[in-house]
Amino acid sequence: MRLSPTLDIEIEAGGARVIACARCGHRLGPATEPWKPRATLRERPMEELGSVHFSGGPVLLREFSCPGCATLLDTETAQEGDPFLDDFLLE
Amino acid sequence: MDPITFEIIRHRLFRVIEEGVITLKHVSGSEITCEGHDLMVALHRADGSLLLAGIGYLHHTPSAAEACKHIVRRFAGEIDEDDVFLLNDPYTAAHHTSDIYLISPIHHEGRLVAWSSSFVHVNDIGATNPGGFCPDATEIYVEGFSSPGIKLIARGELRQDLLDTICNMVRSPALVALDLKSMIACHNVAKERMQALYGKYGAATVDEACGALIEQSDRRFGERLEELPDGRWQSRQRLHCRGEDYLVALTMTKEGGRLTFDFNGTSEQSRYAINSPYWATWGAIFSPIFSVLCPDMVWNEGLTRRVTMVAPEGSIINSRRPAPISVSTIATVPMVNWSSLHCISKMLASSPQHERYATAVWDGGYNAVFMFGRDQRGNFTIGYMTDVFGGAGGARSYADGVDVGGDIPNPITRTANVETTEARLPLRYLFRRRVRDAGGAGRYRGGAGIEYAVMPHDAPDGGLRFVMTGKGTRFPTSEGIGGGYVGSPPHCFLVHAPQGDDEPDRLGTALDELAGEREAIAWGEFPLMGRDVLYVGSSGGGGWGDPLMREPDAVLGDVRGGLTSVHDAGEIYGVVLDAKATRVDVAATDARRDAIRAARGVAAAAA
Repeated sequence: MRLSPTLDIEIEAGGARVIACARCGHRLGPATEPWKPRATLRERPMEELGSVHFSGGPVLLREFSCPGCATLLDTETAQEGDPFLDDFLLE
Repeated sequence: MDPITFEIIRHRLFRVIEEGVITLKHVSGSEITCEGHDLMVALHRADGSLLLAGIGYLHHTPSAAEACKHIVRRFAGEIDEDDVFLLNDPYTAAHHTSDIYLISPIHHEGRLVAWSSSFVHVNDIGATNPGGFCPDATEIYVEGFSSPGIKLIARGELRQDLLDTICNMVRSPALVALDLKSMIACHNVAKERMQALYGKYGAATVDEACGALIEQSDRRFGERLEELPDGRWQSRQRLHCRGEDYLVALTMTKEGGRLTFDFNGTSEQSRYAINSPYWATWGAIFSPIFSVLCPDMVWNEGLTRRVTMVAPEGSIINSRRPAPISVSTIATVPMVNWSSLHCISKMLASSPQHERYATAVWDGGYNAVFMFGRDQRGNFTIGYMTDVFGGAGGARSYADGVDVGGDIPNPITRTANVETTEARLPLRYLFRRRVRDAGGAGRYRGGAGIEYAVMPHDAPDGGLRFVMTGKGTRFPTSEGIGGGYVGSPPHCFLVHAPQGDDEPDRLGTALDELAGEREAIAWGEFPLMGRDVLYVGSSGGGGWGDPLMREPDAVLGDVRGGLTSVHDAGEIYGVVLDAKATRVDVAATDARRDAIRAARGVAAAAA
């Protein structure tokens, strides 16, 4: 089972479902909780990427990567203080 | 019913739509219709419900169904053979006043059996600004002719008084009349073909097939949804208008065979014309449902009945009259398209079986430009820069996004040739190409959008004026998937010619080569005169997957193809090239990528 192209949902001994990096298997917490707070987050202004990526707005690029292998798991654009987008499966 | 007869009728219905579109284009003289394909043709059942959404702007098809149902209710007892109705009031069912719906009953042996609908964006609608997008409007009353439903043709006879009234209000009466007549011709063809179909198979069989088509789509959509995990996905899009930022917030939930689109958290309606009325928002959520979630199904009421929308009243995606809405189709309607696509794609990507259907967010590059003034022949003209339809495809799980791949709500959108626009308007293109670094970085890169630069040429008055509106240039909106980056935001400038510029031919093949003061623009009415240049750079599509996982040789190919700069190759993709960008330095690339990975962790630890 998977949550996204980069995150699997694995069943541990005892039946608990956990979110894991699809590349290295690093555990990112139970499937019943948001995983982003357990990911490595780099948040930076879009202007750091270069001029074509920035057009004057207060836009941050959030990069959520795996604490185990540093693969990018997800990205968001946001303003300061925006909550994380939270995707989850209902099962 | 007999499956062969069913399939024949199904294919005939598609042909009715196709022939309607061909007719519409052949009669129209409008570049918006013929070049940009800013149009739609659809078929409906006798009660107005959507039978078959055709090609063109898909988000109009559910709205047109509501318009058709409205006509059925409003004109009950007064619907005659060979009538044609017109509706363009956004607070009844339309998207904005410029996108006029024509709706025609189809009778067989005296009985109403079906309807056809169509829209085009007419050349002018008599609003405060030529072309119909009104940057200064603060209420709908100044956004042009608007009707909740009139009978334009009665029993085959054109109501000349109504047509004259409409044309009396617009700046380009001949072209608007031609716009309407192109749709009338389209409906005449659709009616003939449908009546031939009913004549051959009989009403009972055709009606049975139409009912079966809707039930088939309902069943197939239900099966598709049941194959996907139940879950909740979120998206967030912002736009900017006149110093104010607005948020479109979406939470999409799938439970069993139903989808719910909840826009709670979206900004309140604006005093500016970026608002979207309810039915435009309703239609907009279906563009990605049809083309991405259900590309292998007939798009009709069988799909729409499984969807619920929660749109807070008084928000920018469900505004209250008299809030202005003329810019809706290039502001909040696309935001709804893209946020819906974002959620749908994330849902599809949660299933290995369905991942291939998903795409990162596309971008329509919506900084729309309507030029107006006297053309090279001395006639007043209004012309649309169809380059905006070029769009950019979102990346897939297996491939890059298609460069200048169009727009997610319209499978057939396209741009006019440069020569076509130059023949129509007193302009000269300095360049038009794909925008470098626009596509969102990823293992699979987002598609690049178009950039172009034009200046006056052979203009009797020294140039033209233009209206620019859209979602603003402040925020990127084409989000990536699975670690892919967002596509770049749009950039638009007026480059004012230097004083005393004696260069006989203002040349320049890139923005940075154009001398003169650069004025960033996004919204309003502007002059394009003398030797000034208008530059428009569109957004790119979103990327898919971690950019560090892109094959280095693919990055090299992007650099050599002008799609990625050496800077982005190194800084974002971690690919180091030799001095002449002819080959990848493998060792340096490995080291650079390791350093980028380390920086991802170092930044978080430092925080």
